[in-house]
Amino acid sequence: MTSRYPDHGTWPARRILGLLCGVAVLASAAVAAPTFVLPPLVQPASTEHHPGKVIWADLVTPDIAGAKHFYGELFGWTFTDVHTGAVDYSVALLDGNPVGGLFQRAIRPGEHRQPAWLTFISVRDVGAAERDILAQGGKVVAPPRSYPDRGRQAVFADPQGAVFAVLQSSSGDPQDVLAAPGEWIWSSVLARDPDTDAAFYQNVFGYEVFEIPSNDGSKHILLSTDDYARASLNALPADAAKRHPHWLNFVRVDSVTATAARAEALGGRVLVQPFTDRHGGLIAVLADPAGAPFGLLEWTDADSKQGAK
Amino acid sequence: MTSLMQRRWMHGLLVVVFAAVAGCVAGGGYDGGVDVGYGVDFYEPFGYEYGGWGPGYGVGPPRRGFDRGRGEGAPHPAYRPAAPSRSMPSLPTRSRGR
Repeated sequence: MTSRYPDHGTWPARRILGLLCGVAVLASAAVAAPTFVLPPLVQPASTEHHPGKVIWADLVTPDIAGAKHFYGELFGWTFTDVHTGAVDYSVALLDGNPVGGLFQRAIRPGEHRQPAWLTFISVRDVGAAERDILAQGGKVVAPPRSYPDRGRQAVFADPQGAVFAVLQSSSGDPQDVLAAPGEWIWSSVLARDPDTDAAFYQNVFGYEVFEIPSNDGSKHILLSTDDYARASLNALPADAAKRHPHWLNFVRVDSVTATAARAEALGGRVLVQPFTDRHGGLIAVLADPAGAPFGLLEWTDADSKQGAK
Repeated sequence: MTSLMQRRWMHGLLVVVFAAVAGCVAGGGYDGGVDVGYGVDFYEPFGYEYGGWGPGYGVGPPRRGFDRGRGEGAPHPAYRPAAPSRSMPSLPTRSRGR
């Protein structure tokens, strides 16, 4: 019988050598595979955790360069780029403190979608949060993932469709301090049914729920933890059928009017003209040049201390 | 016979080596593997309309001491309202670095 291996002494050895070379190439590729590394949320790391607090925001945009120019000029943010493989991400900083992230994602032809700021809420355990969210009727948009230095996060939609993320920060949560001008100061959920949405968020995050008296006939709800206001829940205004429930985040500014005018000069749009909100200061809603909405809010130290009249 | 043993030995060695490499790839991070992409590549459904906002449509935080109004804290069918004794919360007052 003729052997398939005419030279047992040399051919198998070459074969092994070749395969081992292939294995070595695979191994080195695995070791060198780019890892997406995000900076810690808090430096130096703290032991503070504030479940239910909005602790981060990521902008998903088709034009990261344009976004950097717009937000940099508008709020004085600077940026640190994170390039990993095909991922373009940039951390926005204000006076050296991280305030948010910008993530580039192309909009495919025919894809009729809306760039947006994604709101991150602090949780102690992403897995437990996922179970609670699903049990309360929410849906998974992006399953839990871990990022070195940042922690573990996942993206969900509440039962009415508003998308948000949860983050289990491995460096602790930011302190409960008053946001400086140029930092995120407030978040609001615009929902079709604030009552049932309040129940969802309360059951998932353990919020205290306050109904806020209003004179416009619509429902206004406040979500609170640690004795601090964390977010409001508002009914979408009339003819809400044309609108989609969503989270909206607000940046503190010294002058809403001046900032809105500046935003328009930079290519943004004013979606809601400045008007006086319940605390006595102005708010407005803008869209950046790519269409991502965000809010502006004036807040003075006196607003923190005075009672409503 | 020798050839058969050699081939088995080679196959065994390759299985061990590939298993080791697979272990390197899968076990590179904590909690089941480090992500090499970014999992938030979503966009919202298109279209935000903000008509209907204006005076009375408050979305911002209340000031500290904001009056909760009468009857607040009563049982609610959907959620558990804060106890009537609880005052309306507001934003932190402490600034960073103070």
